[in-house]
Amino acid sequence: MIDVQNVSMRFNLGIEKNNSLKQMAVDLFSKSAREKRKMHKKENEFWALQDVSFKVEKGQVVGFVGSNGAGKSTLLKVVAGVMKPTKGKVLVGGNICPMIELGAGFDLDLNARENIYLNGAVMGYSKDFIDSKYQEIVDFSELHDFLEVPVRNFSSGMIARLAFSVATIVEPEILIVDEILSVGDLNFQKKSENKMRSLISGGTTVLYVSHSIESIKSLCDKVVWLEHGKVIQVGTAEKVCAAYYESQIGK
Amino acid sequence: MYIKNIIDNFKKYSFLLRQLVSRDFKVKYKRSVLGVLWSLLYPVLMMAVMAAVFSNVFKFSVPGVNYLVYLMTGLTFFNYYSEASNSSMSAVVANFSLLNKIYIPKYIFPLSKCLFVGINFLLTLIPLYGVILLSGSGETKCHITALHLLLPYSYLCLLLFTVGVGFILSTISVFLRDMFYIYGIVLTILTYFTPIMYDINMLDPWIQQVLKFNPLYHYITFARTIILYDQMPSVKSFIICGASCLITLVIGMIVFKKNQDKFIYYM
Repeated sequence: MIDVQNVSMRFNLGIEKNNSLKQMAVDLFSKSAREKRKMHKKENEFWALQDVSFKVEKGQVVGFVGSNGAGKSTLLKVVAGVMKPTKGKVLVGGNICPMIELGAGFDLDLNARENIYLNGAVMGYSKDFIDSKYQEIVDFSELHDFLEVPVRNFSSGMIARLAFSVATIVEPEILIVDEILSVGDLNFQKKSENKMRSLISGGTTVLYVSHSIESIKSLCDKVVWLEHGKVIQVGTAEKVCAAYYESQIGK
Repeated sequence: MYIKNIIDNFKKYSFLLRQLVSRDFKVKYKRSVLGVLWSLLYPVLMMAVMAAVFSNVFKFSVPGVNYLVYLMTGLTFFNYYSEASNSSMSAVVANFSLLNKIYIPKYIFPLSKCLFVGINFLLTLIPLYGVILLSGSGETKCHITALHLLLPYSYLCLLLFTVGVGFILSTISVFLRDMFYIYGIVLTILTYFTPIMYDINMLDPWIQQVLKFNPLYHYITFARTIILYDQMPSVKSFIICGASCLITLVIGMIVFKKNQDKFIYYM
């Protein structure tokens, strides 16, 4: 279903310094400046992912753990097609619903109704599809009284509700979830977790990032542990979570 | 096969394109009292100022035609170009937060800006036709004839040309943010190097030759031939218009496509 083969991803941390006209002019006329900057560039290279490989079968729920900056989100973005890997290949069979950051496609000046359509379009849905699912989205979000209110005036929890409701309205073959289930109030957390479970039991393949070991253990079949862009361990949730927990406590 | 992929992709995201255009439209006027009326009023007032300055203060005129119509035709075309190319230049950079989170074909942002400004362009045709109808009497009176049905050809060329330029500009501006300032100056230069308020025949022959490299000149002249002179544009001018916009569009698409995977590193 998903086959990640030797994926490496390079970022250049100092890159914003390079794209000014002055720098280009200096480079053009001075050879030493050019070489110096080349060196500088090498030093500033940052490999967010290094030689990461794993496979996900259809219907599997795979969790990703690791410290902040370990490369989890980058990996999900590569799988979602947002970024092209510097090296390696990602093969994906099936349509992906990425929930990497909820509400990314919202325009704060538009009201909830308009945003449902806009965000739906961003996710690649058609108008007819959103029309037919509109009521369901509104019902799930429980925001009936706020449909004509600009999203600017929403609380962050309300935005998350709306975004989650739009994102999960399809039954995607692959769902990518990046730490979003902790938003919203308890009632909505429960509801969104139930929704996730129903998607999982319906055969959706899920890639799930979370810092909550509990929810990883309860949802995932398989866990990938990343650290500094490298895979430390791949295995059953029980085993990898235990090892990860150990290492975190040990620090 | 390749073409088919592009078309399929385009179909899938055509709803997004429409949503982005309507979003821009809604957001632009949401908090103003006069709302959408501004997209009609703003160009009218701008053109009124230009017209007053050039025809009354500087006493510009073009022999044999109604100067106001002459000026308005040029302004309508040029305003579209400058606004659309300028806003599509920043379209990719402005949507980085979105592009960083979800896969969307990136070309959709500059394209949606060109289409959005296109709606404004169509609205500015209303005051243009108003001026044509009120263009006075006598020799310089303009008539609306069947030839006006050919005008959409020049609009289409203008659109495709601008989309091509928009692709190139939005690509450059990702790598070189200075482009936002540079292009502002380029646009000012272009305002004077496009025969909007003057007639190209007033100039030295060699400058005329230089100005003819500007595709905008050809689109505007195409429209003026019809509107002001009631004449059929020559076959040559059909070809120049069509070829210049298609070449620009294809170059823009290639530049954009070649570089779009690198955008993500320059956020």
